[in-house]
Amino acid sequence: MSVSAEEQAFEPLIIVFGCNWCSYAGGDLAGTSRMSYPPNVRVIRVPCSSRVSPNFVLRAFQRGADGVLVAGCHPGDCHYVTGNYYARRRLSALRRFLEFIGIEPERFEVHWISGSEGAKFAKVMGEVTEKIRALGPNRKMRDVR
Amino acid sequence: MKQLNEVIKEVAAQSLSRGEVDLVIGWKKGDLWWQSYPAFVEGDEGVADLIWDPFCVPNLSRYLLEELDDKSKVAIFVKGCDALGFNQLLQDKRVEREKVYLYGIPCDGLVDPRKLEAAGHKWLSEVRRDGDELVLVSKEGEQRVKARDFMYDKCLTCRYPNPVTYDQMLGEAVEAQPQERFAGVEELEKISDDERFEYWARQFSRCIRCFACRNVCPACSCRECIFDIPEPRWLGKAKELSEDQFYHIIRAYHVAGRCVDCGECTRVCPVDLPLQELNRKFIKDINELYGEYDAGVDPETEAPLVTYNTNDPAAFTES
Amino acid sequence: MKKINKEKLPALWERLADEAALYLPVEEDGVVNFAPWKEGAAVNLDVINTMVPPKHLVFPQSENYLRFHVEGSKLEIEPLDVDGPYVVFGARPCDVAGIAIIDKLFLDEPCDTLYKERRDNGTIISLGCNEPEETCFCTSFDLEPGFSPDADISTWDLGEYLLWEPRNEKGQALTAKLDDLLEAADSGAAQAVEKLRQDAASREAAVVREHGWEVQGVKEALEDKFDSEIWDEIYRRCLGCGVCTYLCPTCHCFDVQDYSKGQEGLRFRCWDSCMFGDFTLMAHGENPRPTQKERVRQRFMHKLLYYPSNFEVYACVGCGRCVRKCPVSIDITQVIKAAGGVE
Repeated sequence: MSVSAEEQAFEPLIIVFGCNWCSYAGGDLAGTSRMSYPPNVRVIRVPCSSRVSPNFVLRAFQRGADGVLVAGCHPGDCHYVTGNYYARRRLSALRRFLEFIGIEPERFEVHWISGSEGAKFAKVMGEVTEKIRALGPNRKMRDVR
Repeated sequence: MKQLNEVIKEVAAQSLSRGEVDLVIGWKKGDLWWQSYPAFVEGDEGVADLIWDPFCVPNLSRYLLEELDDKSKVAIFVKGCDALGFNQLLQDKRVEREKVYLYGIPCDGLVDPRKLEAAGHKWLSEVRRDGDELVLVSKEGEQRVKARDFMYDKCLTCRYPNPVTYDQMLGEAVEAQPQERFAGVEELEKISDDERFEYWARQFSRCIRCFACRNVCPACSCRECIFDIPEPRWLGKAKELSEDQFYHIIRAYHVAGRCVDCGECTRVCPVDLPLQELNRKFIKDINELYGEYDAGVDPETEAPLVTYNTNDPAAFTES
Repeated sequence: MKKINKEKLPALWERLADEAALYLPVEEDGVVNFAPWKEGAAVNLDVINTMVPPKHLVFPQSENYLRFHVEGSKLEIEPLDVDGPYVVFGARPCDVAGIAIIDKLFLDEPCDTLYKERRDNGTIISLGCNEPEETCFCTSFDLEPGFSPDADISTWDLGEYLLWEPRNEKGQALTAKLDDLLEAADSGAAQAVEKLRQDAASREAAVVREHGWEVQGVKEALEDKFDSEIWDEIYRRCLGCGVCTYLCPTCHCFDVQDYSKGQEGLRFRCWDSCMFGDFTLMAHGENPRPTQKERVRQRFMHKLLYYPSNFEVYACVGCGRCVRKCPVSIDITQVIKAAGGVE
């Protein structure tokens, strides 16, 4: 299969909304443990996965994200006790809906990553980056101005 | 039995003259055959104008948001879909139940004037319902057609023709004959992501951002809407596809779990966007994932997206 | 006068599209709107009212006009070019009249140069109406359904042929380029047009008469109606959406906004609607039109009193789109009646 120069040069931009208490700490742990993960990932710290409004997700796509990931505490471990239970429902509904609008479901993922899962953080970021790289650049919803 | 058209005048006159309510909101007739619009009656003089006919489609419960401010009690007429919308306002704590008197109207489906026009039925002077038929009155005389052929699509899928809440029911209950309401969503689910994207992009690009779909919606009752807030300006005012997509995704998401499926968004859209399909996608998915739920049926049950179970499934891979 | 056999229309469109961007009524997903012509487009010349009027071709829903760039304390501003030449084919007389009405405001001193440049780039080819729609009342505002005096080229549908008449230099210039496609019309053409115009006008006048839509002196009638109770009844059911204003061929209110991408961005203007609560919202939080009543009053007063006071023409062309599409049947003809502005 031939690969165009553009595709070859393509470095996906992935926005991660990471929960302050678990996943962001997981990212920190990955860093302090000297585990590497792709530089394509930009992490934005949020208080809780349930803080992630669909506005954030859509704005990321509008302004150039090729993939968006929400990372929160495992169900049962939420710092606010129930936040990620709400997030699970809402982000599930959103994920299916984005697919209905025509956005590939791989471009919007949710993962549970605890503060002690530095290795998982690095692994997930690597996997997501490769998946999006394979999908190619996202132009859907992109604000072209 | 008396015609509903007469009954509504009687009950309105009664409750006003007895001082039971300060205001009755019903419908009255415009100059053109398909114009039946909300009417606000505060004294005897407007009562005679109140009507019930196959075009009384606007939901009156939204007006309670404004009208209840300075009144102690308001009476409105509610069809099946309107009653669901009313309950949603109640659930969202935007109206007080004790300040409202509800006259329930069993509704056997309303007529879409555009379907009549498309079939060449124009220049009419009156359209009457007679059993399963419509009587179309024009200068040339009367013509009878099958009512169901000319009903709004949303009425063809209606599952609650009889109001689920009321203080007084006017008329006999009617039987629901709903067509499958998720057929349109399922059709779209079958095609590829790219084709679906193309389809919705084509639809959304027609949007003129008039906000009629939001303003008519009984689930859109926020005092301040995210789309109107200047800072941060989540929705830009430029006519860009990306902004159109943002608007329609967020509008549908904001009513997810609270949309009563009345279909008013689709009816009022001046550029024919199939907005009800967006809402129904959420309804269908929520039903599949978190159990059947019909918004507006019981205002005491929590809406599915403001609650949870610890063992809920997810639409993403949990690990 | 010229004519063209309808079978040759696709060839005409192809040629016009070579000359300039060509917009004409195209059906897509069951909706007829003015859209760019491309080969195989489902052109629909039978529909009287396109869903949205062609106003957006001379006055786009939003248009970028400046690009700005900030570097340190330096601000660079670059004006953006307006789109090039375009042709609008098949605009109905009411919609063309709407553009002529907007012209009065934007081309009057101080001239809106952005509008003028775009307007000058366009050539408008009108198509006379043979039959009225149920909600047509252009004759109420002294317009003629069968003829558009403001178009650059007028055309009429005579069944097999379209008659074609340039009305000004712009129209003549374009017509000259189409010599091989257009034929000279027969000697009876002028008469045929005259008959079409008369028939269309009298058919519509009959409808207008029947509904009591013969506008007479509504401007004068409204002069003392600012505080009238007629507004109390009319506004109450208004949902505050922008259907009426955005579908109106004459509404032209706009807002100016920026789209920012950090250090750079675009300044654009976009449609706005007097029906929206934030239309007159001031920066300090005060709103001179605090309720829907003032907004609804403004819409009708502007169309029927303020605009004719300023420009001697009503800002309504009787196309009927707002009458048809208002979700709660707020009907300008009823407002005119309530104000006492009918014969």
